[in-house]
Amino acid sequence: MNNSHLSEANILYNIKDLVVEYHTRGVVVTAVDHVNLKIQRGEVLGLVGESGCGKSTLGKALMRMIEPPGDIVGGELWLDQTELMGLPEREMREWRGSKISMIFQDPMTSLNPVQRIDEHIVETIKVHEPETKKSTALERAQALFERLGIQKRRLNDYPHQLSGGMRQRTMVSLGLSLNADLIIADEATTSLDVIVEAKLVDQLEEIRKEFGVTILLITHNIALIAQIADRIAVMYAGRIIEIGSVHDVFLDPLHPYTQGLLQSVPNIKFDEREELYKMPGEPPSLSNPPPGCRFHPRCPKVMPICLKIKPQLLENTPGRQVHCWLYQNHPEKHQSTTEVAV
Amino acid sequence: MSETTPDISPAPLVDDDIGFVRRIWRGRIWYGTEWYITVAGGLILLSITLMTIMAPVLAPHDPNDFVGAPFTPPGGGPQALVARSGESPVASANEITDELIGVQRNQNGVNLAKEMELERERYQNQDELIAGLQNEEVDLVFIDQNLVPEVLEANPNFDVVNENLGRIYRLGTDNLGRDITSRIIWGARTILGVALASALLSSLIGIPLGLISGFVGGKVDRTLSLIMDSIYSFPGLLLAIALAAMLGPGLINVAVAISVIYIPTFFRVVRGQVLSIKESLYVDAARSLGAKSPNILRRYIFPNVIPSVTVVFSFNIADAIITAAGLAFIGLGLPPDIPDWGYDLSKGHSFLVAGQWWMITFPGIMITLVAAGFSLFGEGLSEILNPRLVK
Repeated sequence: MNNSHLSEANILYNIKDLVVEYHTRGVVVTAVDHVNLKIQRGEVLGLVGESGCGKSTLGKALMRMIEPPGDIVGGELWLDQTELMGLPEREMREWRGSKISMIFQDPMTSLNPVQRIDEHIVETIKVHEPETKKSTALERAQALFERLGIQKRRLNDYPHQLSGGMRQRTMVSLGLSLNADLIIADEATTSLDVIVEAKLVDQLEEIRKEFGVTILLITHNIALIAQIADRIAVMYAGRIIEIGSVHDVFLDPLHPYTQGLLQSVPNIKFDEREELYKMPGEPPSLSNPPPGCRFHPRCPKVMPICLKIKPQLLENTPGRQVHCWLYQNHPEKHQSTTEVAV
Repeated sequence: MSETTPDISPAPLVDDDIGFVRRIWRGRIWYGTEWYITVAGGLILLSITLMTIMAPVLAPHDPNDFVGAPFTPPGGGPQALVARSGESPVASANEITDELIGVQRNQNGVNLAKEMELERERYQNQDELIAGLQNEEVDLVFIDQNLVPEVLEANPNFDVVNENLGRIYRLGTDNLGRDITSRIIWGARTILGVALASALLSSLIGIPLGLISGFVGGKVDRTLSLIMDSIYSFPGLLLAIALAAMLGPGLINVAVAISVIYIPTFFRVVRGQVLSIKESLYVDAARSLGAKSPNILRRYIFPNVIPSVTVVFSFNIADAIITAAGLAFIGLGLPPDIPDWGYDLSKGHSFLVAGQWWMITFPGIMITLVAAGFSLFGEGLSEILNPRLVK
């Protein structure tokens, strides 16, 4: 996908200044901290980060499915021309499934154990289109299943009779059954083995070409992102720290965290760098994050300003945004280690 | 355009399309080794149910009729027609018309003579009866069948004209001469009715409250839990006694009194289940597809609660049977004209010391058996319905 297409008209989902907090026993945990993100129509956007950095919370927040003790404290969610935060819950429910749908991490438990597979799909269709006849809904379900390569006779089975890959494909077909514009795949392939995973990724790719859906791929599988995503957003401690096309980011990661993250990925060519890179330190506690840039305690290129002031997520080169003082200017920034490009 | 990825999952080795019966038959292997517990419980319940349905056919007598002599022991009842040797005016009992028959007070001979519409001479005890026959006051007497050898030995000049006259009381009669067999059979109706009604009532109230409490949460949950916990903190039988005393006797009242103490059981089980199912991924997934809350509760949460509810239901019936018997035992149960095992227990226990053990034993055995049947069945159900064991 060409970056020059990043125009307002081509944006499907626009997240503005989103803040999600969890209130537990007097401690406020900011899982998503002022996130700005634009998802373009028809792209696959990969969202990566360590466990607990707020990826899944962000995904759920996009559907307004944060439940107590969590709460969306601030921000705007624009899907097409509609602001979702302002919608009443009843209308929001209509949007879930029909405009945005979600595929969950664990295919083993994301289907109702007491419902047959076809009932899942028929119900999903009937919830949003109550006037649809059951037979029509069933036909649609069958067509979808055939498309995803599940035998027709499997429609009558209960979830526990299916394999993990089949269940995950069932989830995908549930997401597709209403022609949702945006599918949020939250660690959708994490619990599958590599062969099934490759197949599912293949199918996601096919579906995206065929139906033109937009996919937000939340994962910590870097290789998967490299394979399927157009753009990549890196999240650290509740903030987006780098966005760019997959090609650019993988070739030349700007943020020190992204650099470390990519170096931590196992590679067959070990002779190039003797040992796998291990990032120092631990992910910060979100209830008591470090001041300034949240990555500074672990950053190999830390500067005095990083400890005090939070950097902005600014465009570095066209289509490339990074949240780091290395690429930004500030009166207090006395010395720059690299050339600043704005 | 692009090719569809072929399905790589192999065809299943075991055919899933087997019949229901065979599925259950295989289930005995899948569901652990305790399948025979279920079968034992099921058999007990089946026979009790049959007994309940067939009561009018099975029961030999009206349970409230004073059909026999009081305190007839189990197997007692049949009479022998005895006369002095060679002096019997009749050849068999059928020929008796206007002969005077000697009978003993409070024995089944009296009832037999009454039924055969015979003129009878009543003697106070066995010695007087035999003396009467010996002294030629009467020509014929009715003597209890099992006393015949003893009597013949003492009086060699007696002869038995006929044996096995009249009814037999397999389980004996009680202090009023009512047939215990019939009372047991009809009593099964009562106890099952009360237990089922109360378990149904408490589940009808407890399950919806538990569902709402667990699903809605917050203040509703706290209030309901507080109420239920305070009911639960009473000793069950004590609360049932208080309620039964307040409501007065009657089938419905007893069922209501018992049901109140079991509402919290259903409530707590359901609420706990809902709390954990609510967090499960498939509920989240349903929500992400736009399902409405009532729909989620009905289609996603409730069906997954059913297995544990079924088990609780079964155990509760067993418990309710014992509570119902307990209520009847202290006289707060049903009105006396309804045959009831608990009532028979309470009436029978005072005669135990006098040696009339059968009045308390048989209802006691039945209560134990039915309660055990439901418990065993519940145990088996919890094995079978446990989703972790179904693979």
